[in-house]
Amino acid sequence: MTTQRDTFIGHLFEYAKNDKDIYLVTVDQGAPTLDRWRKELPNQFLSCGISEQHAINFAAGMAAGGKKVYVYFMAAWVARCFEQIRYSCAMAENPITILGNGVGLGYAPAGPAHEPNEDIAYMRSLVGIEIITPCNNRVTEDLIRLTIEEPKLRYIRLERKYATELDNVYSTPGVPCLSNNFLNKGVAIMKPGLSENPLRTKSKIGIISCGYMLGRSAKVMKKLLTEGHDCSVIDIWRIKPIIHNNLLECISKYDVIVTIEEQTLSGGLGSAVCEVLMDNRIKKNILRIGLPERYIFENGGRDYHLDNNGLSVDSIANKILNFVK
Amino acid sequence: MNNKLKAKAKETRREIFDFKTRTGIGHLATSLSCVDMLVSWFYDRETLFDHTKDIVLFGKGHGSPAIYPILAEFGYYSKDELDKYCTPDGILRLHSDGTIPGCHFVGGSLGNGIGYAAGLAFANREKNVYIIMGDAELYEGSVWESLIFIAHHKLTNLKIIVDRNGMGTIGETEKLLKLAPLKEKFEGFGFHVNTIDGHNYDDLRDIYSRENTQVEVTIAKTVKGKGVSYMEGIWQYHVMIPKTEEDIKQGLKELS
Repeated sequence: MTTQRDTFIGHLFEYAKNDKDIYLVTVDQGAPTLDRWRKELPNQFLSCGISEQHAINFAAGMAAGGKKVYVYFMAAWVARCFEQIRYSCAMAENPITILGNGVGLGYAPAGPAHEPNEDIAYMRSLVGIEIITPCNNRVTEDLIRLTIEEPKLRYIRLERKYATELDNVYSTPGVPCLSNNFLNKGVAIMKPGLSENPLRTKSKIGIISCGYMLGRSAKVMKKLLTEGHDCSVIDIWRIKPIIHNNLLECISKYDVIVTIEEQTLSGGLGSAVCEVLMDNRIKKNILRIGLPERYIFENGGRDYHLDNNGLSVDSIANKILNFVK
Repeated sequence: MNNKLKAKAKETRREIFDFKTRTGIGHLATSLSCVDMLVSWFYDRETLFDHTKDIVLFGKGHGSPAIYPILAEFGYYSKDELDKYCTPDGILRLHSDGTIPGCHFVGGSLGNGIGYAAGLAFANREKNVYIIMGDAELYEGSVWESLIFIAHHKLTNLKIIVDRNGMGTIGETEKLLKLAPLKEKFEGFGFHVNTIDGHNYDDLRDIYSRENTQVEVTIAKTVKGKGVSYMEGIWQYHVMIPKTEEDIKQGLKELS
């Protein structure tokens, strides 16, 4: 399985070979795809050492000087240089692309220092930033073209290991890539589902999620369908900005909205969805499901932690079933 | 030549003193300490600085109003803007930013300008980037991250000048938290370090009229509040702007 990081950085390499204005800035992060840049495009690969603050300031200055700059580091480190992103990029309107690898609990069992469980909340507070969470490699690869053709300050949240069952999502035979128009929609119904027993359909449930949790959401959906509910999974890959009409269109058929995120609930994906509904005077029953308000210090991998912190498929499905009872 | 430059510096300081005391907004003393380096670059024809090509950044954004009268005189905006400093009708602010013609960086958060300047200098090796840093700004850890990078990449088109007025907001740097030995710290990076009188035009010309093969760092010893006798070297004036009629009158007189 090719990781999202290797997909993005590997394909960006191909663009960079023909465009000497493309630079990759890193902070002592290692990977074979990075080694290839270092070896074959040494003048476009800039190692800043372990210095996220400088990396962002430097990248912003490079962008102000006309370069196309990508900064790659672990997603947890965006908090370390939040000030520099706010100050040198957002305020100064410098369009760099920040690639944050290993969102949510992706780095488990490394511990909470490596596992950003609240990055959506703090990053979406930044003025003018775009925040994108691709669910698979198709989306990840096509985002490269978007960043080149439509430069903006972007935070791209890469999964360290994405949910492989989402491999074919948005892949249409004969259509080689996703258009910028599609990517800029920011949200789409990923998996529509009708009750397996349409004569006695109970609730109409729209599950909204992004990234890794879309895999679990699809499994939850399956359970809800067998329980007699209509249910769809909606992928909101761009959490900021949200085009209100696009989201509202996706959820218009559903009475109950459930948001599922690998984040704590303070200001994350669920909050962003609620804001859109409130701002548009849409009254629906909303259930927000996410990580508990704590840092997880127990040992275990990502799925273990999700299962033990209220985000197993059964646990999510039961929460929803109780909610619609 | 030096007399003309001194006269220009006095005129510049008077204009800064005037718009600061009229509004009571900002940091006057720290703006006054860095006037001479700007005058040297913009008005001394023997220095290599070319305002049509080169870039001046203020790491110490709170001192950036020092450049406002100069940019007005060079036609970046009307002189009337000085009268509108920090008013809703004006474009000049307490901290300069990229929306102001001739300014290139958002001022107001210390320790970030040096990394940004490194990016600009790296992206445009044919341009010289001059960055004025405050000495108390050197407490910011991000500065040292950037210095490591600048040294490694030998960014000789980045000219670093430290406005060494010796003071932060609440007192003298060497009494509060020692920065010395600064020269040795910079030399440790492999930089060519000059320690000069930051108000002396011969010293400034000597550095900025020659090409450099090493990264040039200049520690410019300056006086905070320079030009207004009762402000000079008084740390309380970091955030204080003369308010009484008598003080304002005396300041304007000394700068005339």
